[in-house]
Amino acid sequence: MRAKYLKASILASAILGLAQWSSAALAQNAAASDLYKRGLAATCANCHGTDGKGVVDGGMPLINNLTSGQLLEKLKGYKSGALEGTIMPQLAKGYTDEQLETIANQLGKR
Amino acid sequence: MDRRHFIGQSAAALGLITGFSTQAHANLQKAEILVIGGGYGGATAAKYLRLFSNNTARVTLIEPNPTFISCPMSNLVIGGSRTLSELTTSYSNLSKRHGIKMIQDSVASIDADKKTVKLASGKTLRYDKVVVSPGVTLMTNTIEGLAEANKAGVTLQAWKAGAETVALHQQLASMRDGGTYILSVPEAPYRCPPGPYERACQVASYFKQNKPKSKVIVLDANQDVTSKGALFKKVWAEQYPGMIEYLPKHNVIAVDGKTKTVKLEVQDDFKGDVLNILPAMSAGEIAVKTGLANSNGRWVNVNFLNFESTAQKDIHVLGDSIQIAPAMPKSGHMANSHAKVAAAAIVAELSGWEVNPAPVLTNTCYSFVNSKEVVHVASVHQYNAAEKTFKTVPGSGGLSPVPSVLEGIYAWGWARNIWADSLA
Repeated sequence: MRAKYLKASILASAILGLAQWSSAALAQNAAASDLYKRGLAATCANCHGTDGKGVVDGGMPLINNLTSGQLLEKLKGYKSGALEGTIMPQLAKGYTDEQLETIANQLGKR
Repeated sequence: MDRRHFIGQSAAALGLITGFSTQAHANLQKAEILVIGGGYGGATAAKYLRLFSNNTARVTLIEPNPTFISCPMSNLVIGGSRTLSELTTSYSNLSKRHGIKMIQDSVASIDADKKTVKLASGKTLRYDKVVVSPGVTLMTNTIEGLAEANKAGVTLQAWKAGAETVALHQQLASMRDGGTYILSVPEAPYRCPPGPYERACQVASYFKQNKPKSKVIVLDANQDVTSKGALFKKVWAEQYPGMIEYLPKHNVIAVDGKTKTVKLEVQDDFKGDVLNILPAMSAGEIAVKTGLANSNGRWVNVNFLNFESTAQKDIHVLGDSIQIAPAMPKSGHMANSHAKVAAAAIVAELSGWEVNPAPVLTNTCYSFVNSKEVVHVASVHQYNAAEKTFKTVPGSGGLSPVPSVLEGIYAWGWARNIWADSLA
């Protein structure tokens, strides 16, 4: 009886431990992945402001009030050539579609 | 094993596991992070270390100058259409808004073994991570007589924006009409590839309006214009006909400040009225002195995933001081881009996370061909894991088709935004 009980206890503890461990690992992965996304979106900040909040009346077209959907539409337009511009058509072609989606999600108006 | 014992053990194991993440988090909060140099690289690194750590990292920025003066746009001050105050930004927001400790001092030495930094004032600071972003050193001794001519105030570089920028404009302003301005360009790599050619435009623009009989001579050690070549040559021919003489493969080896003579490796001497002699460049002095410049003794090799020096652990080097990846310019925009990758990597490392395996850098650079019209070059650099370097993406990036006033407005937009992104 005692041995049986112990086995169950080992199993329960192992499951509990694994769950705790994986949730900690998941939280870490989520935090790390969030950091990567912020890093990618920060490649826009040089021209369009930290977190996409550009200097108002600074001379650079602002993205401050665009939603994620509007941003993605513009980025894809620049990449495909549907939208004309000076620098943006050249820069948009340097990112994968997935990266453009991440950027749009990060910088879109909340 | 009894039940109590077992539960105790598994609880301990559990503690170990969950304790790991809190421990790593505590490392981020406890770590002393020093940033040396408050230019485009260092200021951005300090700010983004705070942003990416959700304001938990302890960051100290060490910079000798009381304010930030932008090198990009400073050719406009030499051309007389702008003033230095328009390019000057306070460091105060870094402390007020972002909680960065500012120390106005220069660094005398770094002890990589003891992990300490000694300030010029004598104080020693401990670090867990140090970010080194010291710009470039102008290797004055590579041109005979240049140090003496500089000291006598005859020759100027004005390749770090500040008092020399204003002094160079004053030399042009007091030059006789019909005089000659000589600009020499060192062999690449040097800070700001299109900078010399933009400067030639700015000086010519000033001459055209104020001293139309004067001449600009560009003595370039390189085989040809190193950036935006076709665009600059077209502008020189169309906007400044007969005024700018561009001479490639002209390597300056000596200067005589008394007779204002420039001596070349191969060709005959040149005489001028205003001599703007740019010597070869290397990593910033503190990087060289610390033994970080392990590429030819001039530039710092870094791991491009986190910008850690390959010579010393926990020393991350940014901006103009590094040995560049292919097609990576030494520019303010690029230094700002380096800084964000390095800041994210440092936060990840101190949190116990893997650093981003696929970082991205961008570069944009606007050059004024007169006081209003601009041409640009832009690029996107994705990390290539197989080659462990950044590579530009085929089909991306490029140049302006022609100079335009619209891009002149964007250039100022770029400047105001990158100053805010780095400093506000």
